[in-house]
Amino acid sequence: MASVSVAAEWQLLYSRYYRKPELYQMQWKHIDLSRNKVACAPLGGPIAIIRDDSKIVQLYAESALRKLRIYNSAGLHLSDTVWKHPGGRLVGMSWTEDQTLVCIVQDGTVYKYNIHCDLIEPNISMGKECFEQSVVDCVFWGNGVVCITESNQLFCIPDFANPQPCKLADPNLEEFPLCMAVIEPQYTMSGNVEVLVGVADHVLLVEEDGIQQVGDGIGPVQKMVVSRNGKLLALFTHDGRLLVVSTDFSKIIFEYNCESALPPEQLAWCGMDSVLLYWDDMLLMVGPYGDPVRYIYDEPTVLIPECDGVRILSNTIMEFLQRVPDSTVSIFKIGSTSPAALLYDALDHFDRRSSKADENLRLIRSSLPEAVEACIDAAGHEFDVSRQRTLLRAASYGQTFCSQFQRDRLQEICKTLRVLNAVRHHEIGIPLSIQQYKVLTPSVLVGRLINSHNHLLALRISEYLGMNQEVVIMHWACTKITASLSIPDAALLEVLLDKLRLCKGISYAAVASHADRNGRRKLAAMLVEHEPRSYKQVPLLLSIGEEDTALMKASESGDTDLVYLVLFHIWQKRPALEFFGTIQARPLARDLFISYARCCNHEFLKDFFLSTGQLQDVAFLLWKESWELGNNPMASRGSPLHGPRIKLIEKAQSLFTETKEHHFESKAAEEHAKLLRLQHELEVTTKQAIFVDSSISDTIRTCIVLGNHRAAMKVRTEFKRWYWLKVFALATIRDWDALEKFSKEKRPPIGYRPFVEACIDADEKGEALKYIPKLSDPRERAESYARIGMAKEAAEAASQAKDGELLGRLKLTFAQNTAASSIFDTLRDRLSFQGMS
Amino acid sequence: MAQLPYLDNAPVNLTSLRDQSQKELITILKNIRGKKCLVIDQKLGGSLSLIIQSSLLKEHGVELRHLAPEPIQTDCTKVIYLLRAQLDLMKFISSHIQSDIAKGIQREYYLYFVPRRSVACEKILEEEKVHHLLVVGEYPLYMVPMDEDVLSFELDLAYRECQVDGDTSALWHIAKAIHKLEFSFGVIPNVRAKGRASVRVADILSSMQAEEAVNSADMGVPEINTLILLDREVDMVTPMCSQLTYEGLVDEFLHVNNGSVELDASIMGVQQEGKKIKVPLNSSDKLFKEIRDLNFEVVVQVLRQKATSMKQDYREMTTTTQTVSELKDFVKKLNSLPEMTRHINLAQHLSTFTSKPSFLGRLDMEHTIVEAQSYDICFEYIEEMIHKQEPLVNVLRLLILFSVTNTGLPKKHFDYLRRELLHSYGFEHMATLNNLEKAGLLKKQESKSNWLTIKRALQLVVDDIDTANPNDIAYVFSGYAPLSIRLVQQAIRSGWRPIEEILKTLPGPHSEIKRGGFSSSPSFDALPGVPASADKVADGRRSLVLVVFIGGVTFAEISALRFLSAQEGMAYDLIVGTTKIVSGHTLAETFIEKSG
Repeated sequence: MASVSVAAEWQLLYSRYYRKPELYQMQWKHIDLSRNKVACAPLGGPIAIIRDDSKIVQLYAESALRKLRIYNSAGLHLSDTVWKHPGGRLVGMSWTEDQTLVCIVQDGTVYKYNIHCDLIEPNISMGKECFEQSVVDCVFWGNGVVCITESNQLFCIPDFANPQPCKLADPNLEEFPLCMAVIEPQYTMSGNVEVLVGVADHVLLVEEDGIQQVGDGIGPVQKMVVSRNGKLLALFTHDGRLLVVSTDFSKIIFEYNCESALPPEQLAWCGMDSVLLYWDDMLLMVGPYGDPVRYIYDEPTVLIPECDGVRILSNTIMEFLQRVPDSTVSIFKIGSTSPAALLYDALDHFDRRSSKADENLRLIRSSLPEAVEACIDAAGHEFDVSRQRTLLRAASYGQTFCSQFQRDRLQEICKTLRVLNAVRHHEIGIPLSIQQYKVLTPSVLVGRLINSHNHLLALRISEYLGMNQEVVIMHWACTKITASLSIPDAALLEVLLDKLRLCKGISYAAVASHADRNGRRKLAAMLVEHEPRSYKQVPLLLSIGEEDTALMKASESGDTDLVYLVLFHIWQKRPALEFFGTIQARPLARDLFISYARCCNHEFLKDFFLSTGQLQDVAFLLWKESWELGNNPMASRGSPLHGPRIKLIEKAQSLFTETKEHHFESKAAEEHAKLLRLQHELEVTTKQAIFVDSSISDTIRTCIVLGNHRAAMKVRTEFKRWYWLKVFALATIRDWDALEKFSKEKRPPIGYRPFVEACIDADEKGEALKYIPKLSDPRERAESYARIGMAKEAAEAASQAKDGELLGRLKLTFAQNTAASSIFDTLRDRLSFQGMS
Repeated sequence: MAQLPYLDNAPVNLTSLRDQSQKELITILKNIRGKKCLVIDQKLGGSLSLIIQSSLLKEHGVELRHLAPEPIQTDCTKVIYLLRAQLDLMKFISSHIQSDIAKGIQREYYLYFVPRRSVACEKILEEEKVHHLLVVGEYPLYMVPMDEDVLSFELDLAYRECQVDGDTSALWHIAKAIHKLEFSFGVIPNVRAKGRASVRVADILSSMQAEEAVNSADMGVPEINTLILLDREVDMVTPMCSQLTYEGLVDEFLHVNNGSVELDASIMGVQQEGKKIKVPLNSSDKLFKEIRDLNFEVVVQVLRQKATSMKQDYREMTTTTQTVSELKDFVKKLNSLPEMTRHINLAQHLSTFTSKPSFLGRLDMEHTIVEAQSYDICFEYIEEMIHKQEPLVNVLRLLILFSVTNTGLPKKHFDYLRRELLHSYGFEHMATLNNLEKAGLLKKQESKSNWLTIKRALQLVVDDIDTANPNDIAYVFSGYAPLSIRLVQQAIRSGWRPIEEILKTLPGPHSEIKRGGFSSSPSFDALPGVPASADKVADGRRSLVLVVFIGGVTFAEISALRFLSAQEGMAYDLIVGTTKIVSGHTLAETFIEKSG
């Protein structure tokens, strides 16, 4: 059976199987890991290699200058650069979570590189003390690092994304520690990093604000490493024992005597179940029970811990050491009779057209779903494509016989495997296991592909998984622009648009802004043209100096805030006259400018109106200013300020006249000036500051009320108005004699109605009666009588008018008088008013 | 503090809209820890009172102040300004801060713009050199539910700003508000607009959809089927006429403010000298909901009937022995007594105004003008009003009505009346006249008036209307059917096409757009007024039309819309969006230039 060969590759560690499939034959040539410092990023990340300057190595046909080289996990060369940083030896290098290579040199400077070997500015410094003391060693974790200096001081950068070096508590060491390990901040109680330092025969736990001695009596520790979840610690002591303890040293989980006085070169956790120790030619895998597994290597290796195993890199191959998943064991274990194994076997029979296939199926009928599930799961964990296929076929074969199986499960795993196989290809070189892929998440994977410029694959994957492609296309466009300095704008635009169109709602403005930063202003202008969102488009247009287009786009958008933005920009940038010209052509911008300037910059607004020949608007402004002068509380009435006020009004008048179209306004301004003068005189003569700023009517009225009829006559300018005013004014001061006299002066041109109204309003029925009979219209007479409550007279007049409707209405009016008795009737009566026509 | 309007019966979920706004405000307050002084501008205060109860503000450690020129007196070290983005308000902030600096008071200042930050306002603050002292944010309050079928964008100056100053900020605001609605209720598939501003809003709305699409796939069938946008400019006749519905009259005489009216306590039968009380007017009051839209004449009758029947019940109660359940019913009826008293008091108070001859005279004149008869009589009436120095706003209302129906006044009369007006009310009103002229509300006649044609074509004047059992919207003005609502009626029934000729005679362009991917949903171009079953939303609710008035709407018009919506054979529920609820009074007032 085919399955025998599968299980034959496994090693048994107590009860658990381990396997070590080969991931890649390394593509590189002539790389000797032992001559180099190597940094491998976890989760299938890139490998950085640089000649180790702490070792004496023989140079072959190579330059004495060191080169930093970056490869993918398959050893495919990605980039390189010459290392020529000052600051002494390279102490350590590692990859951060966002795949930035950080390199620490002796003077405490941290250099950062991206995957393309581009130095990312600015460099980080570990601080002055580090600089003076010089860094000797460092330990990295996810996104941080701890360094130790020659004076045995510890310094830490907790997060490279926000690099703020800090010094940890002084461990007061006399000699350089034997070894160091770090418990990541996310696993400590305090939330700060804790450093374990092996000194003499104990371990010190160093924090930012204190030290603590732990692990007394464990003996001198040569090497230690913390497990992935921060709970366990593997120690190698001077007497050749491997200890696994909890990180608080409260209990020893297990102990194994390695019978080697020499500490291992590398110590690593393989998942959570076993610990790997590497000496020169041997890899020892120790588990809590049973005999350890030994692997022999004749070339140097590097252990790369992952969440579900360890990758083993040597000069020529990369392997992945992992525990064999349970589903795989159940299928391929020699002599397995689990349902999954039988299903797998059934497929084999089926393919060979053997009737045993059916027999097998019958055997496992009831547990078919779990068999299918196991095949699917095992396929997911498989690196070998043909074995994936076989397992999936087995699952699919079994699925047809079971009704209640989640069908999309198979589909889903196929999708995932397609993605995994695609990125595992040696050209891409990201050997993710399915579990690592889940930890990494698809969107981060896409991000990594983008960063390594595998845009097409990233796009395909995001499309395939139904993710937003915007990130990919955006990054591609920006990278394309950066990389295409020699392609002419128009051609590049076409290329870009072709791809940008793929993604609806993508921000053209962001791409354009990138183009602008790369000195392609013209290209930026062309790109921003395609941006549909004006609030993104307009600011960018301004930044690339396309003010006129910006103004046009802003106006079109209808967003007045954007128009203001452009307006102020141009205002600041251009000379006044040019600015005026620009906005004059754009009504919305012009009107907004006027609104703004009306509120805060009158003088500039006047300049604008003058420049565009809108003299009348200047005049209105002046007129308004004259009012503001009048309202100025500093200027008491009748003060000399009236001089400047009148001057302003006169200036306004002459401007109105100049336009030849504003006779009315000009006349009004003239009258206003005249009135102000007159009022001023009146205030002087009457010594009462009550005239200025009242209207002509009010002025006349005030005069009459004051009994100053001569002055009133002087003010009145018009005849009809005179009657209303005088009647009302006399009624106000209840000078009924004067009123009667006035009525008899001559027949009033507006009739006697004003007299009647004034008297009734003043509630003087007797006076009103003098004038009511003189009303010529009987209807008016009737209503007037009614208003003063004379029902009979009203009725008579109404009947004279022969107006039935009026009569009816009057009757209603008087119905109100009937007294009401009960409370309720009152209620109702309160409502019995007359309706409206 | 008045209660928030009751929104549970709204045809779309307005409560969630209000809750959202409430939450956003609370978040702002929460993020600024400790005691704080919240300074709001007066008008915003009105809007906020419809969003959040002041007690809730106090719970979050807020000391409430209104924006005033005087420096703020408070012990709080944190001052939050919550202001509409208006240029003229900025100088208050700078003067406050400068006064604090002069006195050596140290405070933290926060400025939240409503509804969003404004470059121009911030520019002023920069020029006043206080911008760097402020933490600036925004409170995106684009609309306020006034009632279960009325949304207000709270832009009281929108009409004036658009027509006089050319500042179209309001249009963007409206489009944004509608777009926000679409995020909650789906892309509105049919948009009909009439008037310059409306067509512009429809355009902006489309481009907003292009810029930031509401994902219609997730939303299912849009809850709002049709959007009708109408410029106030199209119909300036209606608001200038005196409203005769109950709610309209209350507004005309007593000025409804943010859904409540402030009255002397004595009017409401409370004996407290000089004290003012606030009477909430919204559909939470069941009696008010029943009578608000009726012609006032009828309201009186209805109230009388109700009172009579109550008295009847009372009499029966005293004479015969009752079962407990009958007693219960009676008591239940008694519960409505406070509402009865409230409205009887209010109605009685109103009747003191409506029975005045001057009011009747004005009504008469309005009708004469609307019917476009006897130009001379109208002219003389207005002239007399000016001479008698009647309140300027009243004069302007009639003058606008007169000018609009005549498409302007002959130059001689135009100049004459303007001069008389200046003489009576003062020359500072030159600016007012200038504003009115710019807005086209009071202008020189340049072409023949087509009011008669419009009036006839749309049957604006309806004789013998029975106000008690109306069969036409004309009941709201006792015989005049508001032009705006006639247009809405047409737009709902058959779209613009059949009345295109008439539309052309009214100001501004018109447009009709179909949007979204809902071409399969029934177009109701061809639909008669009969409800087609396909048009109903699946759950049996009627589909919805949002009618937006740009420049304001009057209560009478809202009443007319409610009347339409309640008609048999009407397939749609209507909700109203407006820049502000206005009356002729408040509308005319915006044009009056305050001197200085």
